[in-house]
Amino acid sequence: MSPRNPVYSNPKPCKHLAEFKLSYGSYGYNSLQNYLKTTINGRTSVKNQKTDIPRCSSCNGCQGTLHMCLICSSISCSSHTLLHSQSERGHDIAVDVERSELYCCLCSDQVYDPDFDRTVVLKHIMSLPRNRNGVEGVIGRSSKRRRLNSGVELDSKEPRQSVSMRDRRAKSCYPLGLRGLNNLGSTCFMNSVLQVLLHAPPFRNYFLSDEHKRQTCKKGSSDKLCLLCNIDAIFSAVFSGDRSPYSPAQFLYSWWQHSANLACYEEQDAHEFFISLLDRIHEKEGKARNPHKDNEDCQCIAHRVFSGLLRSDVTCMTCGNTSTTCDPCVDISLDLDMSNCSLTEVANKAKKPSEDTEVSTLLGCLNLFTKPEKLGSDQKLYCKNCQEKRDSLKQMSIKRLPLVLCLHIKRFAHSAVRKMSRKIDQYLQFPLHLDITPYLSSSVVRNRFGNRVFAFEGDDLDTSAEFEIFAVITHSGMLESGHYVTYLRLKKQWYKCDDAWITEVDEGIVRASQCYMLFYVQKTLYRNQ
Amino acid sequence: MSVPNEDIVSYHTQLSSYFFMDLLDSMIVDVASECHRIARLGLDRNLEEEEEELRLSAQARARVADPSNSGEANSKYVVDIFGQTHPPVANEIFDCMNCGRSIMAGRFAPHLEKCMGKGRKARQKVTRSSTAAQNRHSRGSHGSTYSPYSNSTSTNQLSNGAPGSAREYLNGTFEEP
Repeated sequence: MSPRNPVYSNPKPCKHLAEFKLSYGSYGYNSLQNYLKTTINGRTSVKNQKTDIPRCSSCNGCQGTLHMCLICSSISCSSHTLLHSQSERGHDIAVDVERSELYCCLCSDQVYDPDFDRTVVLKHIMSLPRNRNGVEGVIGRSSKRRRLNSGVELDSKEPRQSVSMRDRRAKSCYPLGLRGLNNLGSTCFMNSVLQVLLHAPPFRNYFLSDEHKRQTCKKGSSDKLCLLCNIDAIFSAVFSGDRSPYSPAQFLYSWWQHSANLACYEEQDAHEFFISLLDRIHEKEGKARNPHKDNEDCQCIAHRVFSGLLRSDVTCMTCGNTSTTCDPCVDISLDLDMSNCSLTEVANKAKKPSEDTEVSTLLGCLNLFTKPEKLGSDQKLYCKNCQEKRDSLKQMSIKRLPLVLCLHIKRFAHSAVRKMSRKIDQYLQFPLHLDITPYLSSSVVRNRFGNRVFAFEGDDLDTSAEFEIFAVITHSGMLESGHYVTYLRLKKQWYKCDDAWITEVDEGIVRASQCYMLFYVQKTLYRNQ
Repeated sequence: MSVPNEDIVSYHTQLSSYFFMDLLDSMIVDVASECHRIARLGLDRNLEEEEEELRLSAQARARVADPSNSGEANSKYVVDIFGQTHPPVANEIFDCMNCGRSIMAGRFAPHLEKCMGKGRKARQKVTRSSTAAQNRHSRGSHGSTYSPYSNSTSTNQLSNGAPGSAREYLNGTFEEP
């Protein structure tokens, strides 16, 4: 594998292109710039004003791909490009008139030059409707450095021993912090999320390093413990070395004390619980730590670990004006990508998996998530440039990555209209190693400009986009009466955490399971485990 | 000179074929050009890795589906990695924090529900997610509002926004950041 370059492999020019650059520099590109025209969908063409229909100078044909010589501007069809460069010495480099791609007539291949791409992109940007975000936003490099891992990524210290006597059953060969959680009565939704939090590296490190000091914590009152103290207590118990299943009863009691509406004995949604828990941590901690109400860089442990930024671009389909908003998020909910599955496949559950040639994949779901979506004609949005409501295109992307990325698969489809819900059992393939680069804002924006070699805003070369999976929450059974199980990956071994039962499982079992929530951590943090 | 109808029709058919093929060719070259660029610039680095992951997952599924493989034993009677067995209903006994009575772990939640006076009677008719959702979104009505995460109007399809700084107006106008 070639050494990884930050964004692109630098395209090595063929010798003809190299010679062209030596002789003409960027002069040829710059003079071409006047004839470049970009359409709304990002395609740039060369419009020679002399003739409406470009025709081959050799045969007068106008069919197929036409290339214009960069030196003499004569046009050749695909049959005659070679002829032109043979008859005129040095006229080797041409440009595809429809697509503005460089072409070497002697190599008979498309070639790439960052200087040319830069010329194209600049022209494109200048032709966009002016707004504050238009020119500077795209060209300028983002100088705001992410406060990476500030204080959260810590060297693993010795976990506090809160029990004085070691339990004889403590098996030192198994990783610390592996302990079953008793089901207190349909609380597997809670147990599954707790198991993930217990092993999310930055979250775990925070508590194991005694960052929240229970002894001196003043947030609780006499009858109500502070939520973080409760969580801290769970960490102490689970990492104590005692391997008998732990009952998170105190936690449940505190949790119900804080939320009147959620307190009920029945199966709840693990994802809802996860979001509520993070919300609650933020409520309690956020206000104390962020007196200036800077929501984007909240320093509460929940956000420091899980919070990322999602970017949403809405483009007017008439004038191309794009409006961008960014919102923080603690997870990404993905619709299942059913595009590969035929209707019969979905209906016929008896079909053997090995016969599937097309399956739903996590990358497919992410593609769906970042795909430009045409908003319905009943959802026309007001465009500031056109000064009226227009058909729009919406596109999501990830602007800033969290330390731990939680991906939630929307398996529970609720219909408010039909007043019924159903569960989608469709199998979803997911990778253990995830490179999320294609879904970042930088990649998505670059793609919109034709993948040109250009330093777009937000090309954050410092943050790694490589993630390793460390936990999977699966759901089995029916909507109302299902069961949640967490699979944890510790030191390359997978463990199944089914309430009180911790067992070792093969990686294949996890791959074949029906995932509901996937937890990935930045690769650099995973290696430190 | 009059031209027979059939000739005109076949000429038109030929012409439309010609234009169609021209358009089709152009689209094929579009895709080829884009893929060529992506490949040359190394923007598709991970293809091999992705295919390997797909292969491993397909293999795993086949193995799991194979009836000759001893499926996972009923996990409620299995021995865990520490050599312990547990009853289906957790039988650890502790005192309820609310009333002080001794309760069995597996029955703690239903007990606590009644003990704290919450539960089905106290639970609102509105679905459990809606209150949590309301707390998170101060955006008001769906429908005409442009919601970045979901176009669904179903209240139960949760969006992702943590209490966030959405810089948009409710009447659908954009605000340039």
